[in-house]
Amino acid sequence: MALSTTVSQRIKRKAPRAFLRRTFKQKKPHLRLETGCDLLIHLNCLLFVHRLAEESRTNACESKSKVIKKDHILAAAKLILKKSRG
Amino acid sequence: MAGRYSLDPGQTPRTILRRVLDTVDTRSPRRRRSTQTKRLEEQTPRTLLKNILLTAPESSMMMPDSVMKPVQVPEMVESSRQESSLGSLELQLPEPETPSTLAPGLRATSKRKQRLRLSIFQQEVNQGVSLASEPPGNADASSLASSFNLSFVPPPQSQSVKRPGLARRRPKRQPVDVGALLQDLKNNSLTSALPGDNHRSPVATLPMDEVLEDTQPFSHPSAGGSLSAYRSLPNPSPAGVEGSEGLVRHRMRSAGTGLQHSEYGGSWLGAKLILVNRTGLGTTPLPFSEPQPQLPELREAVGSQEAVEAKEQEGSSGVEDSPGGPASPELSCSTNDLLQAEQPHQFEPPPPSGVAILPSGPLESVPARLPSRTRTAGPRHHQDPYKAGLSHYIKFFSFCTKRPVEKAALGIVEKCLDKYFQHLCNDLEVFSAHAGRKTVKLEDLELLLRRQGLVTDQVSLHVLVERYLPLEYRQLLIPCAFSGNSVFPAQ
Repeated sequence: MALSTTVSQRIKRKAPRAFLRRTFKQKKPHLRLETGCDLLIHLNCLLFVHRLAEESRTNACESKSKVIKKDHILAAAKLILKKSRG
Repeated sequence: MAGRYSLDPGQTPRTILRRVLDTVDTRSPRRRRSTQTKRLEEQTPRTLLKNILLTAPESSMMMPDSVMKPVQVPEMVESSRQESSLGSLELQLPEPETPSTLAPGLRATSKRKQRLRLSIFQQEVNQGVSLASEPPGNADASSLASSFNLSFVPPPQSQSVKRPGLARRRPKRQPVDVGALLQDLKNNSLTSALPGDNHRSPVATLPMDEVLEDTQPFSHPSAGGSLSAYRSLPNPSPAGVEGSEGLVRHRMRSAGTGLQHSEYGGSWLGAKLILVNRTGLGTTPLPFSEPQPQLPELREAVGSQEAVEAKEQEGSSGVEDSPGGPASPELSCSTNDLLQAEQPHQFEPPPPSGVAILPSGPLESVPARLPSRTRTAGPRHHQDPYKAGLSHYIKFFSFCTKRPVEKAALGIVEKCLDKYFQHLCNDLEVFSAHAGRKTVKLEDLELLLRRQGLVTDQVSLHVLVERYLPLEYRQLLIPCAFSGNSVFPAQ
């Protein structure tokens, strides 16, 4: 599949499907994964990372630093992980 | 106005056009026109006019570059003509400009002889490399077209095959016998084994000394490289002092720039040996100021150099059978000691301290590198693919933040993702168990997204899919109706 974008700075849009399936199998070997499910898992990951990034950026802006630091991410992660519990 | 056309009542625009065409024919190459004139009877005035446009040569001069690319079109035009279907000809009409500009490029070959020579040369070059299937069409036009086509074969490929001297290939290396190496050092005059690109490559490739593995004999990251590097040097070749000087300069620079590699330490010592050796051959100006005062002294020392090398052979022969990293520091240690022991009076105090300092640099780095090399052998297959997969999301993270992120902070993102995956799998298990299934299905994931608050009444799953996933995945996920009363993926 030709999914890569033209600009090299952008990240490629291919989903690491094999990685996701392998990780799922390692964690839950007794479960099976359906065909389209890993794509939705990938979507879920993207959304999670997106939320995390937004929150970290907000934290960094609040502390008026140009660079995102560890503590920004830590605080953001606590919040977002709680949200993503389901 | 009407009177003009009443000259000859028998003349129609069609015959006028034909007459014009015939007169034009005499000027253009026969071969191509013959197919045209055959078909005059079948052609309409419109196509005739188009032919006139095409045969209007040398009026629209094009740059040969722009002629090249669209030349592929006239070969299609050619083939379509030979099919003798007016319909296909009609299709070409909507773009009258391109054929008109292309045709002069094709027809006016006589005018482009000078430029064509280059392209013919290139054609020959490319034909040597790649097979070009002759496109259907007229022989001449197709050959021209194919020559133009071939000129678009990516040049680096042809060049790399055409001129092997420039090819970036690592010279063949064998496991080295250091004793023989030193013998060769002593016997042969050292010239650059690699031809002129050795001059060019040191300057150009030194900044990327680790990445390129081609012309630099010392950039081999393995520990055996330091030994093999010696081997690649003394190829028997006619004495070229400038070449050896370039080599020495190259090594000196490499020793200066890449001190963190063991082979550079080894190469530095090799450079010292070479220096000593070469001064026996003749005096050449050396780039370093340190060795220069030693020159007159070293000339006397050539005799003792042989003694040194004899000793080094003994020392190295004991070492050479143990390949790998531990050999190189020992080797460099031994050679260093031998050098210092045998010629203390020849080297002035600053250079020995320089000697001591420089090898100690790479020597320190080598023991530091060695344990890392052995350590990563074990847990690599567990860590690396997992981390490699996560790195995708980490990159996405740094993309989303639009701000620079600290390196240490990325480690936290990794841990965070780990926890997230754990939660995710647990949740999916719970959901599927709740539904009495052992397979995780799409509805489980949809439920998960809903519970996470990502899918709401306002934002549906399909919206998210469309927003974030590329098209190919979206086709797999969102049912779409296709022709024939079918829906994919089936619901």
